[in-house]
Order: sequence, then structure tokens, then C-alpha cells
Amino acid sequence: MTAATLVHVVVSGLATGSIYALMALSLVIIYNATRTLNFAQGEMLMVSTFIGWAAHRAFELPLAVTLVVAVAAAGVMGWLVERAIIRRAIGATHWDVLIITLGLSLMLRAGAGLAWTHDDFPFPSFFDSRPIALGPVRLAPVSIGIIGASLALMAALYALFRWTRLGRAMRAVAQNQRAARLMGISVERVYSSSWVLAAMVGAVAGVLVAPVVFLSSKMGLVVINGFTAAVIGGFGSMPGAVLGGMLLGVIENLAPLYLPSGIRYSVPFLVLIAILLVRPAGLLGRVEQRKV
Amino acid sequence: MRARGLAVAALVTALAAWPWVAPRYFVFLASVILVNVIVALGLNLLSGYTNQLSFGHAGFFAIGAYTAAVLTLRAPATPVVVTLALAGALTAAVGLAFGVPCLRLGGLYLTMATLAFGFVITEAILNLDALTNGADGLRVPAARLGAVALSTDAGRYYLTAAVAAVMVTAAVNLVRTRTGRAFLAIRESEIAAQASGVPVAAYKTLAFGLSAFYTGVAGGLFAFVVGFLSPDAFDVFLSVDFVVMIIVGGLGSVPGSIIGATVVTLLHDGLAAFQNYRPLIFGAILVACMLFMPGGVTQALGRAARR
Amino acid sequence: MRLAVSLLAVALVAVAAIPVAAQQGVTETEIVLGCSNSFSGPLAYTGEQATKFGVDLYFKVVNDAGGIHGRKVRTVYYDDGYKPQEAVANTRKLVEQDRIFAVIAPQGTPPVMATLGYLEENRVPLLFPFQGSPAIRGKKYVFSGMTLYDRQSRMMIDYLVTQRKLRTFGVLYQDDDYGKSFLGAFEKDLARHNLKLAAAESVKRGVTDVSAQIAKLRAAAPQAVFLVLTPGPGAQALKERQKIGWTDTVMVSSGPLTDEKYLALAGDASEGVEGLSLWPDPLTSDLPGMKAYRDAMQKYFGKNEPNRYSLSGYFAAMLFTEGARRAGKNLTRESLVAALEGIKGFETGILPPVTIGPDHETQRQGFWVRVEKGRFKALTDWLTSD
Repeated sequence: MTAATLVHVVVSGLATGSIYALMALSLVIIYNATRTLNFAQGEMLMVSTFIGWAAHRAFELPLAVTLVVAVAAAGVMGWLVERAIIRRAIGATHWDVLIITLGLSLMLRAGAGLAWTHDDFPFPSFFDSRPIALGPVRLAPVSIGIIGASLALMAALYALFRWTRLGRAMRAVAQNQRAARLMGISVERVYSSSWVLAAMVGAVAGVLVAPVVFLSSKMGLVVINGFTAAVIGGFGSMPGAVLGGMLLGVIENLAPLYLPSGIRYSVPFLVLIAILLVRPAGLLGRVEQRKV
Repeated sequence: MRARGLAVAALVTALAAWPWVAPRYFVFLASVILVNVIVALGLNLLSGYTNQLSFGHAGFFAIGAYTAAVLTLRAPATPVVVTLALAGALTAAVGLAFGVPCLRLGGLYLTMATLAFGFVITEAILNLDALTNGADGLRVPAARLGAVALSTDAGRYYLTAAVAAVMVTAAVNLVRTRTGRAFLAIRESEIAAQASGVPVAAYKTLAFGLSAFYTGVAGGLFAFVVGFLSPDAFDVFLSVDFVVMIIVGGLGSVPGSIIGATVVTLLHDGLAAFQNYRPLIFGAILVACMLFMPGGVTQALGRAARR
Repeated sequence: MRLAVSLLAVALVAVAAIPVAAQQGVTETEIVLGCSNSFSGPLAYTGEQATKFGVDLYFKVVNDAGGIHGRKVRTVYYDDGYKPQEAVANTRKLVEQDRIFAVIAPQGTPPVMATLGYLEENRVPLLFPFQGSPAIRGKKYVFSGMTLYDRQSRMMIDYLVTQRKLRTFGVLYQDDDYGKSFLGAFEKDLARHNLKLAAAESVKRGVTDVSAQIAKLRAAAPQAVFLVLTPGPGAQALKERQKIGWTDTVMVSSGPLTDEKYLALAGDASEGVEGLSLWPDPLTSDLPGMKAYRDAMQKYFGKNEPNRYSLSGYFAAMLFTEGARRAGKNLTRESLVAALEGIKGFETGILPPVTIGPDHETQRQGFWVRVEKGRFKALTDWLTSD
């Protein structure tokens, strides 16, 4: 295996990993604010990407506008789901909410199939398809593009959480809901915002990855990779989500390079189990200490 | 007390008489429901009682199913009860082996680990194709009860019903035993239980083993009822289905397991005619169910009874 | 008590009222067919196309023209989501509750194989399943619906080795029955020419990145690479090949993959790619049967674009109609089987004349294509695999 090939495969893995990282981030954003596991995150990504694509086809929109449409649709969807459904689930345990989001994911996927069929569709890309040659190494612009755009989005999220009022409010609610409320923070507003934000992050990921994996109702299954990545990195930790995502993407790509068919698909999951054995709260997570 | 006895007697009579009054298809469907009841009981032992939510039970189910199938193929003279017991035992062993390292894991980490486990098992089954026939799938011969081959729907139904009855009774009685009380204590508060001297780690591992045993036995029955196994049958969506059954029915309760398994199986069967609308309707029902019956059906019934 | 008695009475009356047909699924006015298929899950698109836009399309034409010997055809479908156990349950329901005459056009090897035992036991015809596993060959009540994978492999290898003089081959195959069937068949057919595969890489269904597999295949430097995948990963393989600039190999798609969907997804990465085509071009072929197919699609399902999946369902219905017509007014499962076996030189206007013999294989051919300017161009006439 030449070094050039290895670099290409790793970069490709990092691109996939960036998408997993974005998905993991959306899941963690919602979880931190609301303690809910959103099973429907992937399907929401898929539907908002489809909406963007439908608008692009109907009105011949440029790709940048398509992205905006997808993100806006996602924001609306996230807000609606949180207000109309999740918030109604008062008196529900987190198991119940899990089933609600699961039911929602089934509805979204079937709904997308009814609206657009379960076919695969090509999706326009921001990036060129001709590879860039750096010496012997050939890199695909779409991989570089995905990595770059994802990193930019992650930086923006970091800035949001660190320096804006909303971000600080979200962090406060994540740390201690009751105290945050006592400090005058509208916890309900934080709930809505986190769902909207998470959905929008998902939409960006969807538009970035659709040219590579093709737009289809199957795209939502990336939520499983998102959960895996978030757990590997330490669920609840945002740097963990990023680390977990990148690691997962690269491992998924390296495994077929070095391992035979029988074991290569189990490797990411075996790695997850191995990591959890050594670090029960993931790589960057902290084991929750509950006071009695 | 009398009412309870009469109710049980009526239920037993109804169950016994079912193959005589119902068309073949509904006898088959009843067997499928009973298999799912056993899985739900097993999953509830783990997730409802000791709070370890598993998204990997399709893996245990598969181990039980393939063990029973391979045993029946290679050693056809084995009585079916032995086959099922062995399927359960092997699955339990795997469950225990898996449960031990999982002790340190809590919440979502444990759940993810079980999901990973389920996937690894299905991959292993796919690749051990000398034993399991891999992707081609495995035709399961009829179970043997002595000289009789259980090759009719009624025969398989009675086997499943008998095993289910035993498993349900065991589960009901479990709650009254020390083990059952320990499980309930762990569910309420692991720390308090530990502080009271309950060896939490041992019981949590035991829960894994018991849960796996139940699911393995159910897997073996599944192999006979459906008659054909393939790795495609045991994916993560099946594991999710099992979780749906216990949450919809009611976590940590035997009636909850029975109701949840029955409702979800009937829904899947009844909705098949809706083709591409099927997941839409099923999903909507799930959302509505949990919005209007938080805690599951048994909790809702309990609240209604108390009013 | 009274409630119970009245319910029992109603039940008895209902049971008595069910007409006992001479042959299940056939009455004076209708024939009932059906299948369990994927309307959700990984193969939902092909399932829906083959049944609702394929089989049903042809039967709409037939029914509007008066039916088969005065009987209209009605279809019943259930979703199994590609799960074998649900296929079993659905198929049993179809046979026992909906009382269908025959199963037509189900999809996928695991679901079909799961139901095979039951259908054989109950002597229900399994007609033209959309899958090519050789395991269905030689069964009394089963008729194939696709050129079986071992025949496809033989045609492909024989053509490439004898006509194009290629010696080294690689395979990129899906990690399931479809892919592994082809893998085994390729190995066997290469062995007949004293050759071996240079490399074989698997792709799990649903995986989106094939860069490692393509890199490994390239390292083995095969002259041709067989792609045994579904359209999504197939297109990704082509794009990946383009990304790494691997030009000195021919990508060859298997029969099921050779279709317009895969070309549309791969875009310009599909140029020069070859494959075994099982059908004429659904959009441009001017064969009479193909024109009729497109006209019917336009008339009944104007918004649905013609494609190979609906075409295969349409063809299945066409074969059934011919068999049922020949069986005559006295349509039974046995007479249908006999009638189908007797089909010789049946002109469909879509494929070469169909002759079905005792082996119950309805299709045995394919032809070679190469992609030029985004469409398949025929390089050979129909190849045979005997």
C-alpha cells in the first residue's frame, strides 16, 4: 500500500468523519440542553436536504441558495417538532421521548418516500470533481471541501457557545437547569433554540454529503454513525463528538484497506467496545458522579 | 382470588383451543406473538428492571435461532426441549460474557455497546458460513418431540405456548424472589441498593445472563416457527423493535411485556397491507401512544383503573 | 353469554358464506395474484416500481381489454421491508387469507428463499421473482424472473476471455447473497478457462465510501473489474475510480446493475464503462414491445419514468398472461405450470422469443453494452449462456 494511497483513503475517511462529527454534534447539542436522544436527527437531515433539492429543481436556484433553503427548512422543522411534540410530552420519561423520536424518524422516512420516492438522486456539489494533485498524492476536492466546511461550521459553533448570550444560556441549562431558570434564563427558549440549531447543523451536513452518497431516503441512517461517534468521543462533550466522528470515519476506511472481508465491518464497533472498556465514558467524556 | 383463578383458567382454555377455532394463518401469527412475548420478558429483565437499555437483543435472538437450527440439522435426534435449553444456555453464556465488561458502563454508553455487540454477532453469523450458510440462509427442519415431528402450525404453536407459559410463570415468580427484589432495588436506585449491601455488579451481570437466556430460547422457537434463517433477519431494526415493545407495553412489568409484544406484532402484521404508508402509520401510532400514554400501556391502564 | 352466542352465529354464517372456489384465486370474473415485496427498507424503490408500476401496469392494459378469458386480474401486495420473516408471514397471509392463485414478482434472495419451502409444500406457483440466485432452478412450481446469476457470469466471462482476450479480473461485490453468488460463479467460470481472480473486495450494503476497496483492486492491476452492487455504491465506485485516475481497467457492471439509474448517479464517471445488459434501453429502444410499454406507462402513470425495474415487472405480467391464456378457461395451478412450460418462441417485442422448457428458466440472455455520452450502446447482439 503506497503512502499516496494511504493519504487518499485517510482524507476520504476524514471527510466521512466530518459528516459523522456534525451529526454527533447535533445529537449532543440537543442532549445537553434537553436530555433527549433525538433518533429522528438523521431523518430531519434527509428531509431538509430533500426540501432544498426540490426548491433547487423547481426554481433553478444556485447551490448556495439551496443550502440556505435547506437550513431554513431544517430550522422550522426543528422548532415545530420541539414545540408541537416534544414539549407536549410532559410527564414522560426519557424512554418515552426516545420512542417518540423513533416514531418521528419512521414517519419522516416514509413521508420522504411518498413525496419523492425511495430512489437515489444525484445532488450538485460545491466542489469540483477533478482531483487535485499534490505530488504523487491525489486528493478529491469534495473531500477537502467537506472537511473544510465542517471545520468552519464547528468553529462557528464554538464561537456561538463561547461568546454569545444564547450560547452561554445553553451551556448554563446543560450544567444545571434549575439554577439556570433561577438566573432568569428562559429554559423553554433554550430548548427550542437547541432543536433549531441542531437541525440546521444537520442540514449543512446533508447538503455537504448528498453529492457523495446521493440524495435518498436512506441518508437518515447516518444517525447511527452519529451516535456511535458521539459515544466514542464521550457523549455530551462537543470536542468529543468531533474527535469521535473523525476517528470513526478514518477507522471505517482503514479497516477494508488492511483487513479481510470477514472482519472489516465489525472493526468500528469492536473499536467502540474496546474504547468503552478502557474509558467507560468515551475518550473525552467524564463519568457522571451522582451525589446522593 | 376466585376471579383471578377463573381468569387464568379462561385464558389457558382460550390458548389451548386457539388452533381449533382459528385459521392456520392466525395460529402462525399467535406463535409469532408468543415468541416476541418471551423476548420482551427477557429484555424487560435487563432494561426494565436493572435499567440497562439494550439495542443489541437481535444478536442474542440470532444466536438462539442459529444454535437451535444447527443443532436440529446436525443432531436431528435431539428432543426439542433439549435443543431450546441448549440454545438458551449458549446465548446466556454469551450474555454473561458480554455483561461482565459492560458493568462499568452506564446509560447511553452501555446502550451503544449493546448495539455494537448486536452488529458484531450478525457479522459473525454472516461470515461463519460453513456453520450457518451465511448469506444464502438456512432452512430449518421441523422440531422433533420424541418420534413426532412438529411440522404443523398447531404443533409449533403448542410448543411455543407451552414454553411461553413456563417463561411467563418464571418471570412472575422472579419478582417474589430475592433476585427479583434485588433487581427492583437496583432499578429504584443503584447507589442505595449498593449501600444496602446488594451486590449490584453480580445482579446486573445475572440480569444480562437471564435476559440472554430468555431471548435465546425465543430465538430457537423463532427458527422453528418461521422455518428459515438469514442474517438479514437480525439487524438493528429488529433490536429497536424489541425495545419498542417493552416501552410501549410498560417497562419493568410482566403484563407490560405481554401487552407490548402483542400490540407491536399485531400492528406490524395489520399494517403490512399499507405498503409504503406502513412506517408512516406505525410511527404516528408510536408518537401518539407515548404522548397519550406516557410510561406505556400498563401504566395508562393503571391510571385509568385508579380513577 | 348471549353476546358470545351471537358472535358465534355471525362467525358461522360468515364462514358458510365464503364461496368455495374450484381453484383458489380463480373465479368466473377474476384471477388474484400477489406478492410480499419491499415497500420500505433498502430496496423500496425497486419493489414499488416492479409491482405497482410494472406488474400492475401490464394488467391494467389486459383488464381494460377484457381480461384473460373474461377474467380480470387483481393484485394484492404486502410490505416486508426486505425481512425474510415478514416475507414468510405476508406470503402465508396471501395464500391462506387472500387466497391468491399464484405469487408473482417478489424481490430479493433472502425473502424469496424464506418462502420457497412453504410455497412448494402448498403447491403455489412462485412466478418470476426479481432475483437471480440459481437456488430456485429446477423447482416444479417456480419460474425464474431474471437471467440467473450463474448464466450471467458465464456470458460475461466467456465474452471477455474469448472475444476480448482479457486475462486478469477483479470483483467489487456487495456483501450479501447477490454479491457472493456472483463471486462464486465468476470463480467457477474463470476456472473453466484456467484463470483465477486477481482480487475480490466486498462492500457492505449501505456503506458510502469505497476508496479502500478501489485502492486495493487497483493494486492488483486487473484488466477488468466486475461491479456486483446496487446503483448507489456502483456509481460511487465509478466516481472513486475517476478520483484516483485509474484509467487502465474496464469497469463491467453485472446484469442487475446495468441500468440508467447508475449512469445518472455516476455522471461523467460512467463514460466508457461496460456491462451486461438484460434489457433494451427503456427510454429509446424502438422495439414494438418497448414502445407499447412506454405508451402504457405514459397513459396510466404519466409522471413515472420508464425504467428497468418496472419493465421487469411488466414483462413478468406479460409472461403470466400468455401462460394463463394458453391454459384456457380451466385455469388451475397445474394447467398454468404446464402452459408456461409449453411456451416456445413467444414474441414479446422486448426480449428475444421466449422459450421455457422443463428447467423453468424464462430468460437466458443478455447483451454487451458500453456507455457512450451517458447512454448504453450495444456492442454485441444477444449473447447466450448454454
